Amino acid sequence: MIQRIFLIFLLSCSFYSALFADGKIEQPLVTSTREEAIQYVDNIKSLAPSVFWPKVKPDLFLQNLKLNVHDPLSIYPGRATNFCGYGALTYLMLQDDPLGYAKLLVQLYTDGKAQFGKVNFNPSDAIRAAAGGLRFKGVLDIHPAEQMWFLCLADHFKGYLNFFNNRYDPGDENTFWASVNFAKFNRMVRKLLNYDVNARGSDMIRPSVGNTYDYITEKLKTGTVVLFENNRILHKKKLEKIKLAIPTHFIVLQSLSKKDDKITMVYWDYGGRTSLELDSDFLKRIIFGISHCTKKGINE
Amino acid sequence: MNNLIRHTSWVVLAIFLSSCSAKNISSSYYFEHQDQVEKIEESYKAIYKRSPFTLAFADKQFRIVTLDILTDSMSYIYEFEVDEPRLNDTLLKYHLPVTGVNTLIHDMLAIHCTWVNNFDYYVDEKKRSTIFLSIKPTVSHPFLSDKRYYILTFFNQPQYFDEQGRLVDKRKAKRIRKINGEIFHRITDKVCYTVSSQFR
Repeated sequence: MIQRIFLIFLLSCSFYSALFADGKIEQPLVTSTREEAIQYVDNIKSLAPSVFWPKVKPDLFLQNLKLNVHDPLSIYPGRATNFCGYGALTYLMLQDDPLGYAKLLVQLYTDGKAQFGKVNFNPSDAIRAAAGGLRFKGVLDIHPAEQMWFLCLADHFKGYLNFFNNRYDPGDENTFWASVNFAKFNRMVRKLLNYDVNARGSDMIRPSVGNTYDYITEKLKTGTVVLFENNRILHKKKLEKIKLAIPTHFIVLQSLSKKDDKITMVYWDYGGRTSLELDSDFLKRIIFGISHCTKKGINE
Repeated sequence: MNNLIRHTSWVVLAIFLSSCSAKNISSSYYFEHQDQVEKIEESYKAIYKRSPFTLAFADKQFRIVTLDILTDSMSYIYEFEVDEPRLNDTLLKYHLPVTGVNTLIHDMLAIHCTWVNNFDYYVDEKKRSTIFLSIKPTVSHPFLSDKRYYILTFFNQPQYFDEQGRLVDKRKAKRIRKINGEIFHRITDKVCYTVSSQFR
């Protein structure tokens, strides 16, 4: 009972924190271009094995890093994991500061820890032992740099969903340990990226933005839009009449268009672009959070 | 009073037995429906080689089918009613065989197969693939159990199992290979099953 009351309290905190999610501007970060990042990673011909990451193979790590920088769409959070929020964040990071991403991952690999802006990543021993060894997650199996990075993010950033499981044990990439709530996602973007974030919505109640299609279309004109949506409706896992109305998945919106009554939504998730046809009611029903990310200094 | 206790005991026993029976049913399910299940697996595999796609039923009545078409640049998700003409137009657009996919949908419908999907995995950095079939059995599910779907996996290579018939990573390694957090059990060298609360 006490746990329930505490959970409700935490949920309420999250709701209000997300509602008033226009946070303070962090120290501006120097951002970079993809060309700079490509030049940086292509100049690394080989890496020595890292004593900090026993399961990470250097050649695979480098190959994975180069793939991410050359093709940010390739970021793959893994099958059946709770890494989608970290995947969306990484996709944004590769747009905002690809060189910073590449350098950060190389530093994490060689030194076992790294600093990025004001954030100090000092992964636990359990994370270091696990990275590179995750299996049956699709192409993430052979992407040790992404495994390492997603595990480090989950290890470092905590939200109320991680409260009852905040220490990594093998298999926790699929559990609440790795979960990302809406406020935590926005916090990570603010701390790591050179973006202002205007967040509407919450983990439990849909955003009150009038016409959802019009609102998102308008926001897409001035920045990048990340949606926190209920994937259980989109990709049903159970054939049940009663479904939990809670968001479970982060996607980075690429475009939104309307023809007759049908809306076509193109978004990034799981290593590529997806095109989905849906109607206005369905769009409103699945979306719980809208994060509008704009480069610092050019915000409306 | 004694009658009440006796009746209550029978009810409790029945509930207990029904909550334990899912795995026993599913172990024989494959052999009872082997022809139908293998037909679905083989036709899906053949069509998938031409153009990658996934099929799932989206409703309890098995009237709505979700079609995911995977191209090099984009995945497309569509929902259709079974036998809806619009489905055929879409299949033609993406060079998928109209008769083949429609037959597959009806074969799936016949055994309440909710999902068919190809899944890539890696062994020693080499890509392998397996086909997943999820089935919502028509027999009543155990009262206390939320495990309501039989999931069959068809591997291309013989797999390794421990002495209890559980799928493991390698011949010598005894690490149980969980897929989607589920332990899979041996049916044949290449076919495994599990019982799950989710069909994907």
